[in-house]
This record gives sequence, structure tokens and C-alpha cells, in this order.
Amino acid sequence: MSDRQRNSFVLLLVLGLLLASLVVIAGIPGAVKPQKTRLGLDLKGGVELVYQGKPTPQTPVVTPDALSRAVDIMRQRVDQLGVAEPQIQTTGNDISASLPAVNNIARAEKLVGSTARLYFYDWEANAITPNGKPVASQLQAQDPNAVLISQGSQSGAGGSPGAPGAGSMSLYDAVKLAAKQPVLASSDNARDGPQYYLFGAPGSAACATAAKDQGKVPVVGAHCLLSGPTDNLGDLQAGIPAGVTAAQGQQLVVPRGTVVLLAVPANFARPTPISDPNAQFYVLKDHISLLGSDITNPQQSTDSAGSPDVSFGFTSKGKNEFQTVTAAIAKRGALVGSISSALNQHFAVALDNQLITVPSIDSKLYPDGIPGDTGADITGGFTISTAQDLATQLRLGALPINLKLISESQVSATLGKQALNQGLIAGVVGLALVAIFLLAFYRVLGLIATAGLLVYGIYFYALIKLIPITLTLPGIAGLILTIGVAADANVVIFERVKEEIRAGRTIRQGIITGYRKGLTAIIDANVVTIMTAFILFVLATAEVKGFAFTLGIGTIVSLFTAVMATQAILMTMGNSRTISRPSALGAGGKQRHWRFDFMGASRYFFSMSGVILLVGALAVGGKGLNLGIDFTSGTRITTGLVQNPSAQQVTSVVTAAGAKGPIVQKVTGDKALGTNGFQISAKQLQPAGVASVRSALLSHFGILNNGSNFNATSVGPTFGQTVANSALIAIIASLLVITGYVALRFEWKFAVPVLIALMHDLLITSGVYSLTGREVTTATVAALLTILGYSLYDTIIVFDRVRENIPRMPRAAFSQIVNRSMSEVMTRSIATTSCTLVPILALLLFGGATLQDFAFALLIGVASGAYSSIFIASPVLTHWKERELLYRTRRHRIETEAGHVPAYATSAADIEPQSKRPRREGRLTTPEPETVSAAEFERMKRELEIEPELSTRHTSTLTKRLSHTDQPTATPPAKPAPAARPKPASEGGSPPAPAPDIPENEGMAQVPPKPKSPSKSRPRNRRHGRRR
Amino acid sequence: MGMLAWVMMGLALWHFTIWLPDRYWGGIVGAFIGALAGAALFGLVISGFHIPGRHDTHLATALEAIPGALIGMALVYAEGLRRERSGGRGGIGLN
Repeated sequence: MSDRQRNSFVLLLVLGLLLASLVVIAGIPGAVKPQKTRLGLDLKGGVELVYQGKPTPQTPVVTPDALSRAVDIMRQRVDQLGVAEPQIQTTGNDISASLPAVNNIARAEKLVGSTARLYFYDWEANAITPNGKPVASQLQAQDPNAVLISQGSQSGAGGSPGAPGAGSMSLYDAVKLAAKQPVLASSDNARDGPQYYLFGAPGSAACATAAKDQGKVPVVGAHCLLSGPTDNLGDLQAGIPAGVTAAQGQQLVVPRGTVVLLAVPANFARPTPISDPNAQFYVLKDHISLLGSDITNPQQSTDSAGSPDVSFGFTSKGKNEFQTVTAAIAKRGALVGSISSALNQHFAVALDNQLITVPSIDSKLYPDGIPGDTGADITGGFTISTAQDLATQLRLGALPINLKLISESQVSATLGKQALNQGLIAGVVGLALVAIFLLAFYRVLGLIATAGLLVYGIYFYALIKLIPITLTLPGIAGLILTIGVAADANVVIFERVKEEIRAGRTIRQGIITGYRKGLTAIIDANVVTIMTAFILFVLATAEVKGFAFTLGIGTIVSLFTAVMATQAILMTMGNSRTISRPSALGAGGKQRHWRFDFMGASRYFFSMSGVILLVGALAVGGKGLNLGIDFTSGTRITTGLVQNPSAQQVTSVVTAAGAKGPIVQKVTGDKALGTNGFQISAKQLQPAGVASVRSALLSHFGILNNGSNFNATSVGPTFGQTVANSALIAIIASLLVITGYVALRFEWKFAVPVLIALMHDLLITSGVYSLTGREVTTATVAALLTILGYSLYDTIIVFDRVRENIPRMPRAAFSQIVNRSMSEVMTRSIATTSCTLVPILALLLFGGATLQDFAFALLIGVASGAYSSIFIASPVLTHWKERELLYRTRRHRIETEAGHVPAYATSAADIEPQSKRPRREGRLTTPEPETVSAAEFERMKRELEIEPELSTRHTSTLTKRLSHTDQPTATPPAKPAPAARPKPASEGGSPPAPAPDIPENEGMAQVPPKPKSPSKSRPRNRRHGRRR
Repeated sequence: MGMLAWVMMGLALWHFTIWLPDRYWGGIVGAFIGALAGAALFGLVISGFHIPGRHDTHLATALEAIPGALIGMALVYAEGLRRERSGGRGGIGLN
């Protein structure tokens, strides 16, 4: 396929994809409907619940299969809520459920995440009296406590078996009794480990502090629950109220084999919470007789009195087990019936930790147990709604694993809409600024690049709709960052094209060569970004996944539009008048040429970094990092109120509603919250607690938008640990991948400076966060991880040129090679960094709070990355490589000859003509040395309009000199001929310099050209290289 | 948090090795390893092999890393010097 055909094909492909994208975005009236954009919760409002999967005795290991089954059940439950487009996904052992347009977080949490594990217990055989013995064993002795628990209270004060007052006890007494029981581990346990509680003594300072913290009055003469129940000590510690220490409380541990169950509630619509001082409990041995999975077809029905209840049938296995347990109960009933006919026996039904009902078995009617063919009913204080919810939970089945709610957030639609607008504005401004930058610096090339960016934007938007990608705020940040990535690719190529054109190539040849040479660096840099995005997507938390996905997809799409599409456009325009002059491509003037001794000055920059890090280390030690609730756990509520109360008034109301240690701040300047916006930070509240606070605020001050302007995020103590762990794993995995890739594409010694520079960038960013006291959130972690991939961009650009220059300068010291490489790519580095920083700045200025979190970390990281590429990574590489025998020999030779090693190689002595073509060494992926073949040189020569006799001689010399070898030379080089030094252009009669891939600039001997006629001469910029 | 402070301090001090003659075993990379390992190990020893958490990290925690980093770099320097005097250059970084 010829170039023309190829370009036409690419252009047709670009146009075809563009049309298809427009159809996906806008549709065709009457034929194709436009695809909907799927927005995340943070953009359209709703509830997000994040659970951590925990093993159960029946599922001792949380397997992917168990998680998948749990997700299926949760999805069916969500359907019962009538939620459109819910998203339930797993990350490691975590499950996140996004429920758009749901306002009642408490009901959503209860329906979606409750384990809903139904257990049947033989009541008398398992219930324990205060003396620690089972009720059944004491009935024959007519122990009053055993009789009370078995038969319930006959007086008006108590109730039926299992109800409060029928032998029940306070939580402290129940837990104390349970804690004395031996460990009885067996497969029929409902719980597979111990349970921890922390109590305060009656009248103690701890109870007073805790009560004050909760806005309650301490109960006189009773122990108070300070923390728990939890399944580990870490969570117990985290749950202790502010101002109370663990040492002030009494820790009790309920061993495996014993359970503490809440008494049957009088009203299922308002069950008594475990922390209520009036709540009553029973202690049972944890030997279950039947599981919820043994029942079928549960549904809400009514009992004979017309009250709502839940009826169900049994599976065949369930029928047998039900008959077995009821037969055992009937047998015991017959036995104790001989003592007193009034001693009915019972079985208990418990849902999770709550007793539901304790019905009796008529031993006379069912002496062999109840067959279970006709099913059973659960009756009690149900309303139709609570009976329906229980039936739904039972019908969908229990979750195969326990779920622990580790984070929940509620975003109002108003806030979501505002965030979307801010994100779009930031994106448009970022794109516009990048376009202006490209147009100013690259003229026609910039115009084409801008067109490429627009095409990229359309493709990407179509992909978002087509896949579909759920667009979240972090996703928008990733999208805006890819604008920078796409522009960077163009900058790298355009700088190379300009370089080629300024060096004397024709515009067409300059474009071809520029794209060819720029592509290696772009692919290297983008592959690393894509790999980092992939690692982030696999390992990071749900919030970060959206960011990683858009970054990865965007980078791939941008490679297509920024490289293939723009090249096809340029090549098609190659012969047009529009780009017939170098000035049209921004290559008209002299190239900005850096003659700075980068390596010599590196010690000053090293010292500057050292001082910054020193200050950062002291700040981290002295001030620490301001970790957000994602890491410290807690609840943060932002709301727009109708009235304008003082912070003190809001504090009083939310404290009374159950918020612990609230810190209330007035929020100004947030349009979504209006003029009376408040942010309330408190210790972690459960969904019911959040609902309680919302109700209190609504009733006292009113909430905007009919009560919907209410946003809440609650994070448990384990969530932060999960985020930190996943970030650590992602960092290690990214570093390994980056090291492997750099070692493969360059050489392993190039990988070490890269790692040091990355460490430098991450730690400097951490230090800046500590110094500024800016809050560290999960968004910050995502941005830090992105810095890993992105700060490498500049380093690879520099290293790519070093790699290119090594074979070109076979006699130069390594510092000279690096200095020269840096001088060549400095403009490019500044341009690419600017292109990336511009959209990030737009994010920082126009994005909302979440986007600003990303933008700040990215701003510091990308700026630090650009700096470290030049002033940290390159000097480290230089210092390390200079220790190699090859470069020590060169340095020694140069010092012997010149007395010192100049910053830049200044003479032909730095170039050693080679007698043979280099033998390819190393891996197949090692890029070919940049050489020019004789044929290529002849072509170049024609382009440069060099006289035949001159070019003939020049060709032979060049051909020899370009046939480099990496073999170090120990012999002193031939003294450079004085004529070898190229004369400055100002001296006149300067020979046309070859293109930059020809090592004339290293002082290679050149034959003076034959003077040309003025008509044929073409002024060119020849400052490139060692001319002094 | 303590480890972050130690590593940052070690890295900060390593930057100043650029002013010293390159006689480190393994060169500048050897000095880097020496500084970081020294800072972290010394910090651990001082803290009784316990990494200070968020609330246990103070200004002194960061300062604790200084002697460790200096000792680490000094050891790498001494080893480099010893190897140089015995006729060769450092191990890391040499072909």
C-alpha cells in the first residue's frame, strides 16, 4: 500500500468513525435513537453503599463465587426498591451498590445489605438462664427463671416467650452471662468467631462522656455500651466515643457457640436498637436447627385475626429437619407435661441478631413433630410493610456471606447536577486553553492538532455512551487529563517535525521523519500510562476505577487521533500551499537552543529538592497529613437549610439526633447548598442515624428542595484501611511494571533513576499536602497513583533522546550525551508539561471539590515529574553510567586531552569513526540505532541540494562514521582536524548541515562545500550542535 | 506515618551526597539505598521495632531518621573507599 493509499484509508477511517460517533451521540431522527449517557451517583444523586464481605460458618472463605451470589441476591433486592440503573460491583472482597435517585438511605441499607439469615432454634434447649444452664435442663426442677423464659410472664408486666420481660436481661447482664460460656465451635453455629463489647461502669465518667457525646442523659445505675458489638478489636477501638479510652471501659468477649439475641420487638416497624438502655436480650447456645435456606415461598399474608404475618413452606430437606426438631420439642413437651401440663415447649425464629417469634409446639397434637407439608407462619407485631420486607428478604434468600457496611454516601441530585456542570466547564476550558496553546506555538500544525483533539473528544464521548461507561466525577478528571495526554503526543511529534524541517528536510520529509522518530517516545510513554491505568482499574477502589478506566481508554483513543489521524491529514496536505512554508508550521524562526550545563547545575537542583524534602519530612513529622474521613472514618453531612440557624443551633439539633462529637461549619459560595449551607462532621453514623439527623434538621430548620438537598457520607474504620492497602498494592504493582517496561525498552540501569524520580515526585507531593494541610482523600490517592504513570512521560522523552544519542556520540562523556539530549528536548518537555498542566489548572479553577482534590495532587505531581525528569532522573543516570568502564575511559581521555570535560562535546575527538556496522545486541525490542543509510543519505543530499562532488566525498565519510559500534575504545582517538569544526553561520559560507540524526554536530570531519550560487542557497538554522 | 517521615528524611539527605566525591559503593544509587535503609532501620530501632502511627508521629520522629541516614551513607561510602583502595570500584553499577 502506497503512502497516498494509506493516508486516504486512514482519513476515510477517521471520517467513518466520526460519523458513527455522531450517530451514537445524536442519533438519526426517526431511525436511530441517541444513546443515553450513564451518569454516576456523584453526578445525578443517589445512595452508595460499600460493604465488606466476611466469612460465615457455612461459607468459611469469601470466594469470588460467594461474592457473585451475594451480588445477584442484592441486585434482586434492589429491584424490589424500584431503582433504575442500579450498579452493584465487587472490588476484592468489597461490594459497592450504587442506587441512583434513592433518598431513604436507611431503608435501602436495610433491604440491600442485611444478611437476612433466618435461624430456627430449639428455644428451651438453647436458651440459658442467669445461672448459665439451659432452660430445658431446669424445667423438671421448676427453676423459676427457666420457667419464666420458657413460658413467658403470666403477669401483665411481661409477655410471651422471647418478649421483653419474660426472663430477658439487659445487654450488660446478657453479655456478661454469655462471656462466661465455654467456646463451643461446631458446624451448626450461626457465628464463626468471638464478639467484642466495651461497657462503662454505672455512673462512671466514661458513661457520662459517652452520653454527652451522644446527646443523651446517662442511665443511673446501669452499665452503658461504649462500643460494640464487633467481630474484631480494631473495630471495637474505633467505635469508642471521643474523650473515652479503652482503659476506662470493661471489655467483654462472647465466645463462639453462644449468641446474644434481641428480644422479640413489640413493633417491627420500630425495633429497639441494641444501644438503647431499655433494650432486652436473651442468651442462647448457638446450635441452629434450621436455616432460612430450608424454607420456600415466603410471602406476606394475614393470620386468623387479620393481622399481617409471613407465611412460608419448606424444602424437602427443610420438612425433614423441621419435623425432627419439632418432634424433639414435642417429646420434651410430653416429658415436662407430666410435671405440669402448662409447660408448653417452643422453637425460636431469629433473623440475624433479632428474635422474630417464639411459637409453641403442641406435644399432644404433634407428638411426632410437625410434618411441615402445610408450611408455617411467622406472626408478631408486623405491619403490612414490615411483613412484606421480611417476606422479600426471605424469598430472595440469605446472603451467602456476612456483609459489613464500611462506607455509605448520599448525594443530592442538586449537588450532582452542579458537579456535572463544573466538570463540563472545566473540560471545555481545558480543551480551549490547550487549543490556544497549540495554535500559538504550532500554527497550522496546531490547527490540525486541535481538530485531532475535537475528533478525540467526539470519539470518546461516543465510547462513553456506547460501552457504556458510567461517567463519574473522577472519570471526568481522567477525561480532562487525557486531553493533556492527546496534546502531549502531538507536541512530541510536532517538535520533532519542526526540528527536522529546521535541519533542512523538506516539509513532507520532515513530517514523515518527525512522526517516525517521535512515535517511539510516544508509545513508550503512553504504554506506561495505560499500564498504570490498568493496574489502578484492577486494584483500586470503586471510585478510582472510573478514573482509571477513562484514563486508559482515553489514552488509547488519543494515540489513534493524535498520531494516525493527524499524520494522515498532514500528509494529505503535504503538497498544498497551506503548509508550503516552514513558518506555517512554526518552524520558521531559529530553534530555541538550550546551552545550559544541566549536569553541572544538577547539584544545585539536587540540593533544592533535598531542602524541599527536608521541609516536607519535618512537616509530615510535625503536622502529619490531614487525612479525610475516607481514612479516619466518620460521617460528613452537607446540606442546604431553609432557615439560617447558627452553627451552635445546628450542633445542638444534630447532637440531640444522635450525632457524636459533631463539628458544624457554615459553607459559603456553594450554589448547590444555597446561602444557608452547612457541613457537619461527626463520628460514624449508621444509616438510621443519618436518617435521624436528616429528620431533625428538616423539622427544625427545613432542608432545601423539599428536603432533598442533603448529602451524607459515612465511612467505617475498615474502609480507609482497604483504600490504603489497595493503594499500596497498586503502587508496588505499578513500580514493578514500570521498572520492567523501562528495563525492557531501554536498559535496566535506566529503570533505577526512573524509580528514584517517581519516589521523589510522590514524596514531594506528600510533603506539599502536609505543609498546606490539604485534606487527603481517596481522590488524592488516585491522583498520586496517576502521577506514577504520568510523571514518567517526561522522563521517557528525555531518556528516549539519550538512548538515541548514545550511538551518535561514541566518544563523548555520558554527561555530554545527557547535556546534549536535554538541550534538544527541553523545549519539548516544557511544551508537553504546559499542555498537561493547562487542563489540570482548568480542573483546579473550575472543577468542584472532588475534581479540585484530583487537580491539586496532579498539579504538584506533574510539575514535580517534569522537574525530576530533568534534574533528578537524568543526573542520577549520568552519575551511575559514568562509573561504567566505557564512560570512565572516555572521561579520562577527554580530561587528558582538554584538561577538563566540557559541558558539551566540542570537537571531532568526541566522535570515533567506525569501521563496521554495529552488531545488534540485546533484545529484539531494543530500538535500532539512529543511523542513516547511504541511500537515505543520497536522498537527503538531494533534498539539501548538495553538490554532487561534495556529496560523494561526504557520503563515504558519513557512511563510515554513522556505522557506529558500542565497543569502547581504549586507544586514543585521532586528533581532530581543524577543518572539522563547522564554522558559525555568521561567518558565511557555512555548509548545509545534515539532519539531526547525522552526527555532524558532534564535530565530525566535514569537507568544505563547494560554494553554491546564491539562487540555490537556502538559509537554514544551523545552530544545532556543538558550534561555539 | 512514621515510615513516611523516615523515608522522606532519608531521601532528603541523600540529595546532598551530590556534593561529595563519588566513592560510594554502587555510586549514587548505592548512597540512595544506604540513606533509605539507614533511615528506616535506625527509626525502627529507636522506636522499638514499631512503626509510629498517625498519632504517634512527631517532629522528633522525622529527626530520628537523620543519624540513620548518615550512618547508612557513611557505611556505603566506607565500603566504596575500601573497594577502591583494594583495586576495584563498587559492585553496583559496574559492568
